[in-house]
Amino acid sequence: MSSTEERIRALVDANLQIEGRSAGQPMRLDLNIIDAGVSSADVVAFWRLVCEEFGIDIPADEFAGLLTPGDLIAYLDAQSG
Amino acid sequence: MSWLDRDEQQRRDRFLYGGARQRFTLCRAALRSVLCRELDCRNEHLAFEASEHNKPSATVRGRPAPISFNVSHSGRHGLIALAPGGRVGVDVEERVPHPNLDELIAAVMGPNERSELAAAPRPRRLHLFFNLWTMKEALSKAHGMGLSMDVARFEIPQAMREGSASGCFRFADTPDVAWRLHNISTEEFAAAVAHSPDRQ
Repeated sequence: MSSTEERIRALVDANLQIEGRSAGQPMRLDLNIIDAGVSSADVVAFWRLVCEEFGIDIPADEFAGLLTPGDLIAYLDAQSG
Repeated sequence: MSWLDRDEQQRRDRFLYGGARQRFTLCRAALRSVLCRELDCRNEHLAFEASEHNKPSATVRGRPAPISFNVSHSGRHGLIALAPGGRVGVDVEERVPHPNLDELIAAVMGPNERSELAAAPRPRRLHLFFNLWTMKEALSKAHGMGLSMDVARFEIPQAMREGSASGCFRFADTPDVAWRLHNISTEEFAAAVAHSPDRQ
């Protein structure tokens, strides 16, 4: 099974337009996706996709604090326990 | 850019790429210029604080400034709203094609909004989507929740979905607070402003 990081990277590659980065390039885990030029609408859509991909319900106010891939991966790994 | 304070310079430096960094810097400098003029203060006395959900507010010499503001930028467009009191939120979005528009609509719109967008022809759908999204984003930013609010759980008033340029909105959990909502979109960009005179 793919790691959490690999699954998040695949979702980012397919759905987020990060300024200056092409799909498949290394992904900085400490990069805030808002600061990387991702629109707020895309952030909300990405939240839904992450919930769907991992089969969990992340409250909106918690997701708003998980805007770097690193924070999101750590949260998801903690949830899967 | 000496106009920015240390926190703003640190945030600017977190932007990886020149375009986003330049837009952030220009927007903050413009905000500082406008606020200094309105508050009749020097730039070095102006500072910003952030609420629990990262909504910024201004201080002058460490005291809360008697003004509400909100900022948005998208592409080459920026929008700053000021209000003498209460809470204000804005959003602007360039009308650029989106590769996953239908998935985006499913994620952020309520049931009536989704039905109306599904019935619209594709170019019109994109246009309507941006109008609705900026109104939702302006409301969530004015409320103070921003991205912490699930915007699919509320819908823009029907009259505004049908083209009215302004209207009144109330969140279900705070029906005593009335928000004035204005759609100030053009053909080139979508934009909206939400304001309530109530502080809470």
